[in-house]
Amino acid sequence: METTQATRGARDVAAGAAVRLSGLKKHYGQVRAVDGVELTIAPGEVVALLGPNGAGKSTTVDMILGLSKPDAGEVTVFGKTPGDAVRAGMIGAMLQGGALLEDLTVRETVRMVAKLHRTPMPLDQALQRAGIEDIADRRANKLSGGQKQRVRFAVALVSDPDLLVLDEPTAAMDVGTRREFWKSMYSFTDSGRTVLFATHYLEEAEEFADRVVLMRAGRVVADGSVAQVRALAGGRTIRAVLPGAGEETERLVATLPAVTDFELRGERVAISSSESDATLRALMAAVPAVHDIEIGAVGLEGAFLSLTSEENTEPGAAR
Amino acid sequence: MNPSYLAVEIRRLFRSMRFLIFVVAFPVVMFLLQANVFTKASAPDHAAVVAVVMVNMMAFGLFAAATTNGTRLALERASGWQRQLRLTPLSGASYLGGKAVSGMLVGLPALLLVPLVAILVEGVHLDGAGWLRVIAGLWLGTIPLVLLGLLIGQIATPESMQPISMIVMLGMGFLGGLWIPLEGMPAWMQDVSQLLPTYWLIGLVRPAVTNELLVSFPTAIAVLAGWTVVLGALVTRRYRKDSARV
Repeated sequence: METTQATRGARDVAAGAAVRLSGLKKHYGQVRAVDGVELTIAPGEVVALLGPNGAGKSTTVDMILGLSKPDAGEVTVFGKTPGDAVRAGMIGAMLQGGALLEDLTVRETVRMVAKLHRTPMPLDQALQRAGIEDIADRRANKLSGGQKQRVRFAVALVSDPDLLVLDEPTAAMDVGTRREFWKSMYSFTDSGRTVLFATHYLEEAEEFADRVVLMRAGRVVADGSVAQVRALAGGRTIRAVLPGAGEETERLVATLPAVTDFELRGERVAISSSESDATLRALMAAVPAVHDIEIGAVGLEGAFLSLTSEENTEPGAAR
Repeated sequence: MNPSYLAVEIRRLFRSMRFLIFVVAFPVVMFLLQANVFTKASAPDHAAVVAVVMVNMMAFGLFAAATTNGTRLALERASGWQRQLRLTPLSGASYLGGKAVSGMLVGLPALLLVPLVAILVEGVHLDGAGWLRVIAGLWLGTIPLVLLGLLIGQIATPESMQPISMIVMLGMGFLGGLWIPLEGMPAWMQDVSQLLPTYWLIGLVRPAVTNELLVSFPTAIAVLAGWTVVLGALVTRRYRKDSARV
């Protein structure tokens, strides 16, 4: 728990980082969309960029891709500027929304993008990896949302990039196609490539990323391994009545194991715990008179929301 | 310039119904219509009038091709395709250059079909130098119109593209003398037409088909070149701004 992947990353790959963001800032008018992001991604890492809408994920992604210029700070991709990395065919990206030509077939679209790159992968391989061989001769306007996403995936990987950036890749997919999509993603990352994907599905991040970066209001609020974030997110709330509670009780509750947060009102206490069993055992041992115990799951979504929306969340809470 | 990219661009246009009707069929039909409405076969100046109408409709076809080509830009901006292309090694200059060249190439059907029909159906006759002047002159003179199409595509949305290009095309077409003879227009309209690239485009090649309403060749070249420089600068600036802001 002491060393996060980020600090390890910074130490090991300062020179050879896949992606390095330092002091990154971007504002639109009064809105500070990205407000001082520091992030180093090592080659081969699969990183999920999590956050609610408006957290600055897409703006950050745009700057990594060189589609938008930072107001302050620096972006390097494999030590190059984003523009140079794009020209070298090192970045493949799946952008949000549209990005397909309605009047071209799937095969024509992917081939066209391949022809623009110097060292693309064979066309059939790209179609096969994205699982779209069967729809290769259909025009884009005849495709479902999930199929379009897979075509965009083929467009992103046909350049055979070292870094794959996916902005909300499964937004238009149902559960089944989402699974299929991540399966094909896996085969791609097996070959040691770096992936950064923005999502607001926490389950997706948990299941498919090595590392999770949480953003809120333009900043990184948590950054850690999936296990660390799961611990944060998979917490439960213990509610109970502690007879004769006072200041001493407050100190006692604070020292219970696995407590992440608590609130004491009169005799009633609400404890957030990352491991409710341990907390509860210790609580019952310390205060045998405890009664009216209720344990509730915070739920992935609730925890995620609290992690990314609370004003008092410390930057780097998972460290 | 990336040839395979260009090939796909042009193939896409030929798949579009709007393009085939508006840019290929329409100028030919309008030529036949006007050649039989404005003038009777027995009229003494019949041959000259038909030849003038032919030149007008060739120019109109090129203009329609140029604006239709420009609509692609509006669509590609709106759909995010332009952003996707910016993630490839294709440079902004190649992207715009490709669009400009495709705007020139997709005008070829009208440029060649209208005179072909004019020869076969209406018996239009020009000498070799005359044909060269008409075809090469109109084709090269259409460069500012291609740039104008691109500029509209850069400013408009897919929804507003159609009305904007219609207004520009009809306005510049009428005032440039593509549809009705200029000498029948009020003086102020004739003044306005002197500013338009369409007027000078026709003026550039008119001596090949008629002795009326002739303009100075160097002036025509200068005005068209001026439009090319200004529109080219605007298109480039707009693209830079677009790509910086996204």
